[in-house]
Amino acid sequence: MNGEPKELKLTINGKPYELKVKPQALLVDVLRKNLKLTGTKQGCLTSSCGACTIVIDGKAVKSCSILALQANGHEVTTIEGLADGDKLHPIQEAFIEHGAIECGFCTPGRVMSTKALLDENPNPTREEIREAMQSNLCADEGYVKYIEAVEIVVKKTQGGS
Amino acid sequence: MREFEYFAPKTVKEALSLLSQYKEEAKIIAGGQSLLVIMRQGLFTPEYLIDVKGISALDYINHDEGKGLRIGALTIHRAIEKSPIIQRHFKVLSEMEGNLATIQTRNWGTIGGNLCHGDPAGDPAPVFIALMAKLKLASLGQERIMEVEEFSKDYLEVALEPNEMLVEIQVPTPPPNTGTAYEKLMVMKGDMGIVGAAVSITLSSKDGVCKDARIALSNASSIPLRVREAERRLIGKVLNDDLLAEAGQVASEEAETTSDVHGSAEYRREMVKVFVRRAARKALERARAG
Amino acid sequence: MSKEERHSVIGHPMPRVDARAKVTGQAKYAADIELPGMLWGKVKRSPYAHARILNIDTSKAERLPGVKAVTTGKDFGGFRWGWIGTTRDEEPLAVTKVRYMYEGVAAVAAIDEDTAEEACELIEVEYEPLPGLFDPFEAMKEGAPLVHEDRPGNITTEYHWNFGDVEKAFAESYLVREDNFKTPRMAKGYIEPPAIVAYWPDSDHLTVWIAKGSPYFPYRILARCFNLPLNKVRVIQPFIGADFGGTKNDMVNGDFAAPILAKKTGKPVKIVYTQFEELATCLRRHPVWITIKTGVTKDGILNAIQTRLVADGGAYTRMSPLSLYLMGCCMTLPYKLPNFKTDAYCVFTNNPSSAAMRGHGIYHTRFAADVQMDMIAEELGIDPVEIRLRNAIENPEPGEIYHTVNKLTIGSCGVKECIEKVAQAINWPETKKAKKVDGYLAHGVGVAAGTYLSGARLTGHAAAAAVVRICEDGTVNLLTGASDVGQGSDTVMSAIAAEVLGLELKDVDIKRVDTDYTPVDPGSFGSRVTVYAGEATKRAAEDAKRQLLEFAAKEFGIKPEAMDIKDKKAFVKADHSKSIPWLRLVRLACYTTPGNVIIGRGVSTRGVGQVPNWETGEEDVGANYSFTAEANEVEVDLETGVVKCTDNSVIAHDCGFPLNPPAVETQVQGGAYHQGVAAALYEEFKMDNGLTTNPNLVDYKRPRAYEAPMTKVIHVITNDPFGPFGAKEASEGSCCTAPPAVINAIHDATGIWIKELPAQPEKVFWALKEKRGKPPS
Repeated sequence: MNGEPKELKLTINGKPYELKVKPQALLVDVLRKNLKLTGTKQGCLTSSCGACTIVIDGKAVKSCSILALQANGHEVTTIEGLADGDKLHPIQEAFIEHGAIECGFCTPGRVMSTKALLDENPNPTREEIREAMQSNLCADEGYVKYIEAVEIVVKKTQGGS
Repeated sequence: MREFEYFAPKTVKEALSLLSQYKEEAKIIAGGQSLLVIMRQGLFTPEYLIDVKGISALDYINHDEGKGLRIGALTIHRAIEKSPIIQRHFKVLSEMEGNLATIQTRNWGTIGGNLCHGDPAGDPAPVFIALMAKLKLASLGQERIMEVEEFSKDYLEVALEPNEMLVEIQVPTPPPNTGTAYEKLMVMKGDMGIVGAAVSITLSSKDGVCKDARIALSNASSIPLRVREAERRLIGKVLNDDLLAEAGQVASEEAETTSDVHGSAEYRREMVKVFVRRAARKALERARAG
Repeated sequence: MSKEERHSVIGHPMPRVDARAKVTGQAKYAADIELPGMLWGKVKRSPYAHARILNIDTSKAERLPGVKAVTTGKDFGGFRWGWIGTTRDEEPLAVTKVRYMYEGVAAVAAIDEDTAEEACELIEVEYEPLPGLFDPFEAMKEGAPLVHEDRPGNITTEYHWNFGDVEKAFAESYLVREDNFKTPRMAKGYIEPPAIVAYWPDSDHLTVWIAKGSPYFPYRILARCFNLPLNKVRVIQPFIGADFGGTKNDMVNGDFAAPILAKKTGKPVKIVYTQFEELATCLRRHPVWITIKTGVTKDGILNAIQTRLVADGGAYTRMSPLSLYLMGCCMTLPYKLPNFKTDAYCVFTNNPSSAAMRGHGIYHTRFAADVQMDMIAEELGIDPVEIRLRNAIENPEPGEIYHTVNKLTIGSCGVKECIEKVAQAINWPETKKAKKVDGYLAHGVGVAAGTYLSGARLTGHAAAAAVVRICEDGTVNLLTGASDVGQGSDTVMSAIAAEVLGLELKDVDIKRVDTDYTPVDPGSFGSRVTVYAGEATKRAAEDAKRQLLEFAAKEFGIKPEAMDIKDKKAFVKADHSKSIPWLRLVRLACYTTPGNVIIGRGVSTRGVGQVPNWETGEEDVGANYSFTAEANEVEVDLETGVVKCTDNSVIAHDCGFPLNPPAVETQVQGGAYHQGVAAALYEEFKMDNGLTTNPNLVDYKRPRAYEAPMTKVIHVITNDPFGPFGAKEASEGSCCTAPPAVINAIHDATGIWIKELPAQPEKVFWALKEKRGKPPS
């Protein structure tokens, strides 16, 4: 049975997009292959590694587990949309300064999970930070510096030092 | 993934029309957090996919003391977890959701999708069973109510007619002096439970005797399993820890556990004892607190 | 190198040079590379673990619309490859026989992934199944079927080493114990699956982007495979999602299929493995069965250790000879050991091949030995920290060397200080004496100490080189063959160049490996990058500096040796007021007619030519050795057997001199958790007659954020005489100390010994039950 390409209209990183995609296309594939936004990574295809994490309508979701057409009419933010021109987002800066980036493969997904967390909850507990990243597997880092980097961002934005 | 014909109805009526047209050849997708995994592996290849995620009319959480809780089938897990209403009146649901997979899954997956997937390892079903919840199933021009307990038929098989769709979960206000808890065995937070137990205990306000007990297990059979023998060990008695342990023992005998990479059938049976007891302890504490 | 010498760049925390590219999503990994006209490839795999291939019919696949080319093993003309010249037993795609489940037998290039996958299903292969061997002990038996016809007894490799006289030493020992241990079959664990994009700019030149931590391996192997001279094989290294040994520094079916399909189609071909392919077919950590016999004096001083090892090497040799070697050669560290004997076997089976993984080799036997040390301590009534301090090798005085019985040369050894600092940080012995059980939770704490070699010395091309180019605006291009797989080597190399040239980190730009331009380097394995590439970079920068100082010296009419460069100024050592700013000096050199091109070159051959003797187990396997001590607290749920690490976790690491301290910390924390604790608590491939039954990240659990201990890292500085700036490797040591520390902690909490990793809940549950005296029901 032929699945005809269907229209997909959505906003990505503030820009409107209109394209035609096959119904079986996953959102991660449309981002990476159709739109060349390769910052979002694909690691496992079993919803278990989180490398594909993006933000839809302010919520962190796994783009490998969403049909592209389900994003129709929604606002998507990917890692490419975080920095403001040359000015990095505080989360990105904290990750760099605190040495929280190793091979970098899980970094985009992790940064997006963190953004969604802090946008919803600017003062999370350590446990809440861990929970927000539970989906984002790493193999390098031991998670310590990630948690510390997020706590640094929280402190900064809460006015402390 | 294999190709399929795709529809995105915006109303329940549209969805039900499509279902009544395509019946067995069609499959509903909501959040897809369970369905896409098996579709990507080629284990499930529907001809027609009806995407109901956009039906906003089924995204709600309503409550009144009389009727109890009404949850729209397309409410996402995260909404249930964070809902102040649910945290106040049905805390066990919020707790259960808090350990269901990870935030990213809960942000897109729906409660209806989870129940209709029919995985016996799923967390919501046993909790709804313990809460005496009912499901509203709709087809074109018709509606019927079914106990959650009746819904699961077999592994990944639920009692939905080909032209039917789940639209609402109804949770009655628990009787006074009722406490409910859900505990599951996880190695890491968010894991599917190796086994899990939902327990609801109602105490008599007069003498503290257990008036009712409902115990349902996850991942201990091919369906979420209600263990009535275990319940009978508690009903009509003044509860103490020994009785709770006994209920756990009996529940483990009723369970039909199987082995997989996460645990043997024997180990699961042992864990049923532990988790029935742990959930029952918590439920009893809550029942006593009133 | 004195402690008083202050550095401007190295030794200070520095942000990684590639961090920005990664955190913005701009960094391109192999799967992100796209070229015009690119096709997608897929490998067709065998459903049998051991079978003869009778026939392959690709006609239906070829006819599928969208398919551009198909290849089978025969297309490679009998080519075989292996990790070293004498072990070339593997084919790019199996030709006559498959030896492990899902081994590649054919491949397809098509316009998209779905079509390529569909085409693979249309390839019809006729097999004659053969009896399979899945247990190394069965495989070693007389009369067992052969995995390789020319390898009798299914022995991949074996070693028999003998130092001193263990029998005499046992006879003289107060206590002799023999125990059996087992380490699990594990995934490498990196999230990025193997990927390659191959294309032929013309019929004589091959270019590949490939996710490899040792790009010069594919460089040589592909050259041989396609009969190309080395100067026409271009391997470009994109950003890499980690490499813990094995697949990312060795070849897989897709790495051969992509170039040959690119040749056939005249188009670029990309093959990206799925996580399923990674987990089901790619190289895994050897499972090893360890029998260890140890004799000690009444005071717990080691007299002798004897080990017998059986490792499951899987279907092909790969680098098992090295793995097996590493399982034994450092048994004489970190404690003084006068007598050591080992009989070690690596065996062929029809399981997917085993290979290196971070903590390579040493982790297996260090786990066994350091757990047994606790058993011994308990029997003798000696405190576990105390017994380690009694046995620890002392830090040699400056200028002195400690030699082990197998002739390892130790210039620095901070293990004693590591143990002391760790014990102090975890508040030992109070923490050990504290109340263990609270309801159904029990707490316990355990320690371990270990070592890791740095700068692995192997046969074959083992030297490293670097080139430093001074641009006319004073900035620096750095070319090395060293691979940053996430461990931060690009940053460290840049820092070394900046340090030597008196510049800031931001003035140096390091280029990723491109074999057309970067000099050879064996690769990122054996903790060699800092030591060898670092040395090469240092020398290249010094060479460039010398050339520049020649110009500067002319200005002052003195010899170049009388000058130095620091803080972007070239100055006369005897009179700092006589100086030239860096930029002016560079312009002087570049523009004074006819204008010089300043290129510095450096080679590090430190120790090359002296490779260890694999037959006897003697001589240095590394340029130097790091030391680590670790203490972990665990929480055990006595009713379920679930074990968690608490935040009470400390590691003291002697890497000589940390060139980038935060990077060392991250590496140490990560190595301990992902490669160490993972083995102790979580990970194991469950095999069923050659089939990996849990080839996905749900059924194969990897350590996550919620359960991660917030491990504190303490730097112990010993300034090794053999490393650049005194540096040694960082963090493979903690991969080796975490498992015994955790297992010892479980024992402290519960009294049980888990000798077969991982300590998964069910295993712990039954062990607890057995201890309570009730048989499992």
